[in-house]
Amino acid sequence: MATTTASITLASSDLLTDELSLSATKTLHKAGSTVGLDQTTGMTKAYLTATTQVDIFPTLIEGSLAFAGKSSWVYISNESEDETEYVIVKVSGNVIGKLYAGDFLWMPWSMAEDADSDNKHADIQLTPSVATGMWLQWCMVNEGTEYPTSV
Amino acid sequence: MATITAALSVSSDITTGFSINKTMTMTKAATNNGLERTSGIQRKYLTAANEVDLIQGAAGVVADMTVSATASAAKIYIKYIESDTSKYITLSFGNQSGGASLTANDSNGAHMEIGRLYGDDWMIIPWDGTSATGDICVLPSVATAAEPAIIEYIVFFD
Repeated sequence: MATTTASITLASSDLLTDELSLSATKTLHKAGSTVGLDQTTGMTKAYLTATTQVDIFPTLIEGSLAFAGKSSWVYISNESEDETEYVIVKVSGNVIGKLYAGDFLWMPWSMAEDADSDNKHADIQLTPSVATGMWLQWCMVNEGTEYPTSV
Repeated sequence: MATITAALSVSSDITTGFSINKTMTMTKAATNNGLERTSGIQRKYLTAANEVDLIQGAAGVVADMTVSATASAAKIYIKYIESDTSKYITLSFGNQSGGASLTANDSNGAHMEIGRLYGDDWMIIPWDGTSATGDICVLPSVATAAEPAIIEYIVFFD
């Protein structure tokens, strides 16, 4: 059984009157259990050169809903160094928010049935703000990966 | 201008060399100026297993947040305070159902499930929050008056 541990510390010495310091640590488990997640996509480093919306985990979801009810964790980081550049993050067309240069997210992800016959399946979608090239990183730690049959 | 940092560390033996170590300084949209507003750390006690708004966009919980479809750099941290790892809360964006089931998913913007936080899981995401479809909704798997679902969150915003 694999062990994956995620930790975060939120800190600020000047946001409030008193110092803000909040920390949390959690071992990632399969859904509803204490068994560790044991699969990963590995870390992707991508250079996106268009403002076209892309689907970052396509091969894992097309043709299979094996992720339904399973536990998946997603990391996305905008590696740009230009503070004006951002990437819009959506789940199946619904905007979560923007990751500006240096920002990251860490969130659970639920696969979902196709809601509108558009084959989106809760796709995680990224749209860069510029077409001049933007570095991004992403990965998923999960269970239950099932790849589509090759044609 | 405040300086707020979020430091993420993920270590794993799933595969050799897998680790994430990343620190972000939260800035206002398209600038190097730090975010300087916050909801403060909030705790919400849910006593029924219904889908409700946890954080409302627009004129909601953080009413003075600058909401803009083109310029918002808000961040949200959410944690499910629960030692029983079989219990979970389902997070979603959009219109709450108010009932025991989630609003149906809609890839056109009305509602979409994001994922589940099991006991003691946490997450940090950017937040658009521009309209009701940006509301963050939550549905606990179990919640009663005797054993409420306890959710901790904090919003940092422009």
